[in-house]
Amino acid sequence: MSAPASRTRIGARAIVRRFGPVIANDGIDFAAAPGTIHAIVGGNGAGKSTLMRILQGVDRPDDGSVILDDREVRLTAPADAFARGIGMVHQEFMLVDELTLLENLILAREPVHAGGVIDRRKALAEAERVAAMAGVTLDWQMRVADAPVHIRQILEILRLLYRGADVLILDEPTAVLAPTQVRELIGLMRRLKAEGRTILFISHKLDEVMNAADSITVIRRGRAITTVLPGETSKAKLSEMMVGEPVELPLVHPAAPHAGVPVLAIDTLVARDGRGLPRLGPITLNLYPGEIVGIAGVAGNGQDELAAAAAGLGEIDAGSIRMDGRDITRARTGSFRDLGIAYLSADRAGDGLCLSASIRDNFIAGSEHAPAFSKSGLLRLRAIHEGARRALDTLSVRYGAMGDPVKSLSGGNQQRVAIAREFERKPRILIAAQPTRGVDIAGIAFIHRQIVAFRDAGGAVLLISEELDEILSLSDRIVGLYGGRITGELDRSDASVERVGRLMLGEKAA
Amino acid sequence: MIRAALANLAAAALPFVLALAIGAIVLAVTGHDPLSVYALMASEAFGGTRRIAATLTATTPLLLTGLATAIAFRAGVFNVGVEGCFYLGGLAAATLGFWLVGWPAIAIIPVALLAGALIGGAWMVAPATLKVRLGVDEVVTTLMLNFIAVNLTSWLVNGPLLARGSANSATPAIEKTAELPRLLPPSTLHLGFIISLALVILYGFWDRFTVTGFRSRLVGLNARFCRAVGIDVPSLLFRMMILSGLIGGLAGAIHALGLVHRFVAGFSPGYGFTGIAVALLGRNSALGMILAALVFGALASSGATIQLFSDVPIEIVEVLQGTVMIFAVAKLGLLLRDRRGLA
Amino acid sequence: MIDPLIHAALLMTTPILLAAIGGLVNRVGGIVNIGLESMMLTGALVAVIVSADTGSVVLALLAALVAGGIVGLLMSLVVTRLAANEIIVGLGFSVAVAGLVRFLLKSVYGVSGTFNPPGVVMLPRIDIPVIADVPILGAILSGQDPLTWFAWAMVPVTAFVLARTRLGLRLRAAGSAEMTARALGLDPLASRDASTVFAGAMSGLAGAHLSIGVVGLFNEGITGGRGFIALAAFYFGRNRPWRTALGALLFGFFEALQIRLQGRGVPAELVQMLPYLIVILVLTGLGLANRRRSGSSS
Repeated sequence: MSAPASRTRIGARAIVRRFGPVIANDGIDFAAAPGTIHAIVGGNGAGKSTLMRILQGVDRPDDGSVILDDREVRLTAPADAFARGIGMVHQEFMLVDELTLLENLILAREPVHAGGVIDRRKALAEAERVAAMAGVTLDWQMRVADAPVHIRQILEILRLLYRGADVLILDEPTAVLAPTQVRELIGLMRRLKAEGRTILFISHKLDEVMNAADSITVIRRGRAITTVLPGETSKAKLSEMMVGEPVELPLVHPAAPHAGVPVLAIDTLVARDGRGLPRLGPITLNLYPGEIVGIAGVAGNGQDELAAAAAGLGEIDAGSIRMDGRDITRARTGSFRDLGIAYLSADRAGDGLCLSASIRDNFIAGSEHAPAFSKSGLLRLRAIHEGARRALDTLSVRYGAMGDPVKSLSGGNQQRVAIAREFERKPRILIAAQPTRGVDIAGIAFIHRQIVAFRDAGGAVLLISEELDEILSLSDRIVGLYGGRITGELDRSDASVERVGRLMLGEKAA
Repeated sequence: MIRAALANLAAAALPFVLALAIGAIVLAVTGHDPLSVYALMASEAFGGTRRIAATLTATTPLLLTGLATAIAFRAGVFNVGVEGCFYLGGLAAATLGFWLVGWPAIAIIPVALLAGALIGGAWMVAPATLKVRLGVDEVVTTLMLNFIAVNLTSWLVNGPLLARGSANSATPAIEKTAELPRLLPPSTLHLGFIISLALVILYGFWDRFTVTGFRSRLVGLNARFCRAVGIDVPSLLFRMMILSGLIGGLAGAIHALGLVHRFVAGFSPGYGFTGIAVALLGRNSALGMILAALVFGALASSGATIQLFSDVPIEIVEVLQGTVMIFAVAKLGLLLRDRRGLA
Repeated sequence: MIDPLIHAALLMTTPILLAAIGGLVNRVGGIVNIGLESMMLTGALVAVIVSADTGSVVLALLAALVAGGIVGLLMSLVVTRLAANEIIVGLGFSVAVAGLVRFLLKSVYGVSGTFNPPGVVMLPRIDIPVIADVPILGAILSGQDPLTWFAWAMVPVTAFVLARTRLGLRLRAAGSAEMTARALGLDPLASRDASTVFAGAMSGLAGAHLSIGVVGLFNEGITGGRGFIALAAFYFGRNRPWRTALGALLFGFFEALQIRLQGRGVPAELVQMLPYLIVILVLTGLGLANRRRSGSSS
């Protein structure tokens, strides 16, 4: 449906970007023709955001170059990229909540009368012009703070048009949208394309990509695996390319079929995210001793809220959480933990660890009042030191001194400190959210062994991961989560990349 | 290890050095010789037992207002209301000190000190509740409460509690038995110094060796993390704010019973605010705060006498205090980086 | 009976209003200015000195404005360029400038506390014939000094500039979303500095009003915490110029009332407490409203 791509409006040639030992982009190539929608897909940590930062002039490649209009260019700053017509809509919107939609649109490019008084007629006319161009209508006097999220997103896009961008980079634009809004957004993207604008569509929602894109580049582990046309591929093939082959599963011995009583029973639970938007549920899920239940899903489908709710940190609207039959829905976080629920947070720097505090302090945090570590309000420093040393040695944590801040450790060792802290509490349930994110290969295998050993000792694990291979290699049961609801459940013996992939994409289990 | 400690000390002392430099400019511009003024100040602050005693007397209230501030700051609560607690604690202690006629020292002193502390703690209940329950910014509420406390106490000593026959806004003098014993007569150094020093040292232990000390430090570093590991953050913040108020009140009570021996309008020349500088400069550590309080105490005691021996007005001390506060929170590293960038 | 009270209330309102408008603009730009008091004090002293030296009210006002602006700039640079906490820096400026002013008085002019040089020219009063004789209206409109007129004129001007001009829009963006402003190519820190300079200049004028508008001399306690009352006024006004003006007027009225009530058994101190108490009540009300709003959506 598009003209033959004889010309590259925006692209990359062998872009390499390293951060210390980590190679975020390892020779990425792609080329988007003018007037097309070009999708870039890949899992978390595949290197998409680094690439986008480079295309936007925020970051510079160590090697290779950005291609604009068939020519290699060096982008020195976002303003530089913008001057060449490239604009980006970030996942975190760059809007001023206190200002109206109109004010946000014109900010930094205000039409003014003499004396700097804003020419409101002209501003409004311009606003209507770009809105008409995009085929939308907005209430321009509404404050952004009062605007729903899809309106904010449209505003971001309109602002790029207002400022004259003709290449629009949309980073996971559908992550925050409801299905009907996704359809509207794709319609908007098509209209912009029809006007000759070029759109880079970053996503990991494959049905949307298949629906909207003219061509698709798959990125995995910092490399562009391939570029395909939607007609030549399928969602299943794409997801296989995104996650790679499932790894061997030597570690896992299927757990004994579970006994009748769940240790954790989640019943018709409804929960909101930090911004107060409903994200999860209603869902019902039981967790039995001695099993690992893997939650498979694309980011933003309610995993964070499920993990938070199960860890006693959730904003729960309805439904219940029971442990051993006892209702703990409204119990404090401390009670969840005292009853034996441990939590590895996906946000290690936020609430998984206290990075600026010492290793020792992170190890005892939350257990400082336990008899092992304190007596009548006084810390037992000797016992803490010994306990921490023993636990960290067990997990082979490599550290300088116990008093060093945790941020001095590598990602894998940081996570081991968190595991040491949680296992020290002798939990019966482990909520593990993205437990190997940012961890190297060796560390991943080690953490996987710890999780399996915990399961083998009778523990129950709720494993939430966007890494399909992690879910497949560890889980005894796999539950798909899509749009905050459970799409189906597979026993490990029935699970395959394809079938789990379908669950993740919101299709009912076949 | 030692190098790191020295670097730390140098970084902590830098605001003070910069303040001295600015003070030197002010002195030089107004026709004074900065070096001789500073030398005179040093000898006035530390030259001989009596001068040292005067410095320690001036240090006493700052130890506790610094401590009160630090306890809140380290938990991430921005309590700037210690000044108000100081006024109220001072008034409460002074009032009991002249009301409880005939009580022996062993009874009247603890009761008066306790009352001062309690009213300081009670004063913080409102801002603490507002912060924890409604998310109301504690900076503004505690700042406003300072002015309320100053006016409230000023009203009380002009009316209901005014000493009979006195034209000044002051309560009657407290009972002799209520006065804190002097340590080094004839100097004014009193038992309050020992109490204050002991409390700061106790705080050092509390900081390092107790469950609550551990928790409040961690909450100040990362409250979200603390919530995730099951620490009851709101309750902790509430208690730290009350504790801060208790100590602020106690500081005022000690000042009333130890030095002023009554309550007068304008009871504090900004001890609560200097306490903020003490906490910042001492980086919330016990040793750091003792040193910082000594520095400010020395400034105050030397300032009080240099104008007797030279024509340098005492206010140079305020200039130094304010400048130290300003530089204590400035990220001076940014200045160095900018310089390097320009070079 | 009522006329002198109205007149006094407006007179008391002027310095509070001037500083509060400055503080409001500063807060819109992203800095809560606790150092208004220090900028007022600077303006008050400079106005007296220049007025006595030159005999020119205009020069005196100009000097107060510039001096206040310079103190504001210094404070702003520490906050914006050295990432210092604005509250502590503001308190630090309050302490340091108060000390510096008294130091200079003693050191340069050899006086302590009060500085009353000969030849201070006061702000003129603008009497409006005919209206001056109308009860109430006359007290409001006639016999006011130019700074009072200026202060009230600045209320709609500020409202207009903030709402309708490029300057105001960019300042609002800088204050509430620094990252976004920067991403769009603006310089939010410069906007912020400019707003602090404005706050300093307005506070300088406020100080001038106290010294050469009301009493004709300088006293070290002349500002009497009005910088903090101004803070209370713009917190009361929640960043809205007219509501802030209302707060300033209310607090000015309290002050006038308190002076009138002296010797009549109503304690001045309790009246002086009111502005601060009202701010806490306003904040409490806002907090309750917020909680109810977030509670109702659950």
